[in-house]
Amino acid sequence: MTITTFKLNLGPQHPSTHGVLRLILELEGEKILSCEPDVGYLHRGMEKMAERMSYIQYLPLVDRIDYLAGFFYSELYCRIVEKALNIELSQRVKFIRVIMLELNRIASHLLWIGAFLMDLGAISPYFYAFREREMILRYFEKLTGQRMMYNYFVFGGIRRDIGYIEDIEEILKILPVKLNDYERIITENPIFISRTKGKGILTKYTALNYSITGVNLRASGISYDVRNTDYLYEGLKYKPVVLYSCDAWARYKARILEIRESVTLIKQVIEYLKSCSPTEQKPISPLNLKLPEGNYYGEIEAPRGMASCYVESVGEDRPYRLKWRTGSYYSVNLLRKLLVGNYLNDAIAIAGSLDIILPEVDK
Amino acid sequence: MNIGEFWNIFEGAELVENRIILKDDLHKALQFALENYSFNLLKDITAVEKRDKSIDLTYHLYSVENDEDLLITINVWNEAESVIDLFKSAIADENEIYDMFGIKFIGNEYLKRLYMPESWEGFPLRKDYIQSDERLAWDDDNNV
Amino acid sequence: MNLLYFMYMEYLAKYNIPKLFGDITFYIIPFCIIALALLIIVLILVLAERKLLGYFTQRKGPNRVGYWGILQTLADAIKLLCKENITPKGVDRFLFNLAPVLVFVPTFAALGIIPYCAEFTFVNTSTNVILYLILAAFPILSIFLGGWASNNKYSLMGAMRSIAQVISYELPVTFVLLSIVVLSSSTNLTGITLAQYSRAGFAGWFIFPCIIGFVVMFVSILAELNRCPFDLPEAESELICGYNTEYSGMRFAIFYLSEYAMLFANSMFLAILFLGGYLSPFGGYISHILLGDSYLASILVYFEQVFWLFLKSALLIFIIIWIRATLPRLASFDLLKFSWSILLPVSIVNLLLVVLIKFGGLL
Repeated sequence: MTITTFKLNLGPQHPSTHGVLRLILELEGEKILSCEPDVGYLHRGMEKMAERMSYIQYLPLVDRIDYLAGFFYSELYCRIVEKALNIELSQRVKFIRVIMLELNRIASHLLWIGAFLMDLGAISPYFYAFREREMILRYFEKLTGQRMMYNYFVFGGIRRDIGYIEDIEEILKILPVKLNDYERIITENPIFISRTKGKGILTKYTALNYSITGVNLRASGISYDVRNTDYLYEGLKYKPVVLYSCDAWARYKARILEIRESVTLIKQVIEYLKSCSPTEQKPISPLNLKLPEGNYYGEIEAPRGMASCYVESVGEDRPYRLKWRTGSYYSVNLLRKLLVGNYLNDAIAIAGSLDIILPEVDK
Repeated sequence: MNIGEFWNIFEGAELVENRIILKDDLHKALQFALENYSFNLLKDITAVEKRDKSIDLTYHLYSVENDEDLLITINVWNEAESVIDLFKSAIADENEIYDMFGIKFIGNEYLKRLYMPESWEGFPLRKDYIQSDERLAWDDDNNV
Repeated sequence: MNLLYFMYMEYLAKYNIPKLFGDITFYIIPFCIIALALLIIVLILVLAERKLLGYFTQRKGPNRVGYWGILQTLADAIKLLCKENITPKGVDRFLFNLAPVLVFVPTFAALGIIPYCAEFTFVNTSTNVILYLILAAFPILSIFLGGWASNNKYSLMGAMRSIAQVISYELPVTFVLLSIVVLSSSTNLTGITLAQYSRAGFAGWFIFPCIIGFVVMFVSILAELNRCPFDLPEAESELICGYNTEYSGMRFAIFYLSEYAMLFANSMFLAILFLGGYLSPFGGYISHILLGDSYLASILVYFEQVFWLFLKSALLIFIIIWIRATLPRLASFDLLKFSWSILLPVSIVNLLLVVLIKFGGLL
């Protein structure tokens, strides 16, 4: 018997590739024999641009690396400049940044939940998740004037002091209730369980070998979280979410638990912010900013895995070399292995569960 | 971990700041770090072009068990040893470096133009890269 | 049938119109009315689905065209009519054009065997149930034609899934139909309807002795209609649009509308088989209660019977839309497994139970 296989082009225009991912699949019937990711449809040359712009010129662009979690890259970039110039942040500024990061993480995870369930064919959770995400985006818009590209963090501080704390409290009050709703409609749904339990098993070894970080790694039983050693999070109680079943379901559940964890983090920070006086640290003047010669490195726990930035300076007003490491890029690489042997509709669930976002991949 | 032991084994290796600079034997060094010190997560590979047009490749290793970082740097010209048999994530990193700097990784069969089109000339992150299309060109002297 | 027919013939004989003319028009005029009504009902169904889905997901649904969005589907249909009919390169032109034409045929044919009211069925054969079984499986042919002729891998996979799905869900349906035939001792749909008559109204409906069969049949019909959670042939997050990916303009509209027509026809069948068809749920008809035994009442009863049938099927359609808003999609492998390993044995058990009830003296 001859086995006939055929090539299927999944993307770049496909409803479930969340942008412009292209997977060249080799199929036998609906079974995937090999997978070859093809990226670059959204390449903007972020690293080259950095070499041609002054530090402050580049700052607004950084949000665009991941438009669903812009704060993280903003923070990462600011952090490196601050490190190079030896700027100490006040506790208040640090905690305001923590609030923004965690709210952004919640918004990002909520979008993922909606999109993932959409991939699995359920319509309603998408709109429910967007409803809650909308509250957070409204708050961001109120505070920073932007819904997604905030440009709120600047070198040595923040653009303006935090306000509308009652809005955050409202979000924190509503969110856990709504999460319970999600758990009822999604987590306990037998079809959802049959679609995700035991699907896309990502073992510890594979996860490490493919350099998977973030929630996906923690859902595979490894408690590696950059937040543990992050100076912003000092003094906050935080319990990393670690699940051991390694499958798509664990990756879903881990994100739900992360949202809950983020809520407790923000609560602690708000307690502090209420007690301290609103004297704000002035950001440094970005004009003629030159980093001393040397190389600087920083990492942060972004929603889609560890993100890091490496800057090499030769004392000019622009970086000599700037390099981004983004979590999604390695998740795309992982698809080569993880999809093989699965059926097409499981493949969609598995690829969806990794939370890939294309601007982050293409940079 | 005793890094001293590490650079004794590899000839010509030296420690500068926090990174080990290798002359040769990149693959062996990474294998040694992986097997003996369980540096099992290759965070990323960073390529930096030096003034003499050689490329510094920095391998950022991390050990989940011991919570330690290790940086291994090697200076290469046009070719380097591939480490995809040790770390599968290197497929992605090496491919990106090939696309952006034009370094061939011996033993990596996945290399192709990644972000740039297959027919694109030049390697964008090289310092002497000239954009082939004049409409895209950015006047480097007058901006900023 | 007879009563209406003879009334009509007597009326024609008064004016010396040939009998042949009467024979033809007796069928054609109501058929045109029904066909027109079907088109209107389909338009309403599309709107109803979008509205309901909107409310289920906290949106408003269409609300701009006409009052309460009532003309939305009409506007969409006109838009689709005006659009270009693209025939992609490499398609089998004849089959590609034939498929949308064929898809309406079984739907209209199915409408021909439905008893709308006590005296009216277009084709009242003694084996209507068998005919229904054939017609229910028929749309799959045009789906397969469309998928095959499109020369698109996604379409082909959608078509393949359709075939597998219908074949595996046809068997449980057959067994459930057998149990209905056993209960009613009739293979005629009018006979089945009349067998459900009881003085107490809904107590005689077959849904009570055959509740398992109803569930099996309901699920199978969801699968045959490619409705959520069995909408694999057109799973948009996997196969883009499945078998009708390459269709555009009016051809697409025909596929789209025929789905709803089939939904309507199938829910009417469910209503006939289990919910007493055109019988009133109260035993007596409202027209009789209000108007006594007058001539007007005897005419109005027919309309009331149509109303009851439509109401029951509308209820079923509502449940189907409700399910769509709630559940994710099954994986294709699970879908087949579900049919062969759960639905088929259950339907056989149901048949045995029904036989016991019928001949064991329980009813």
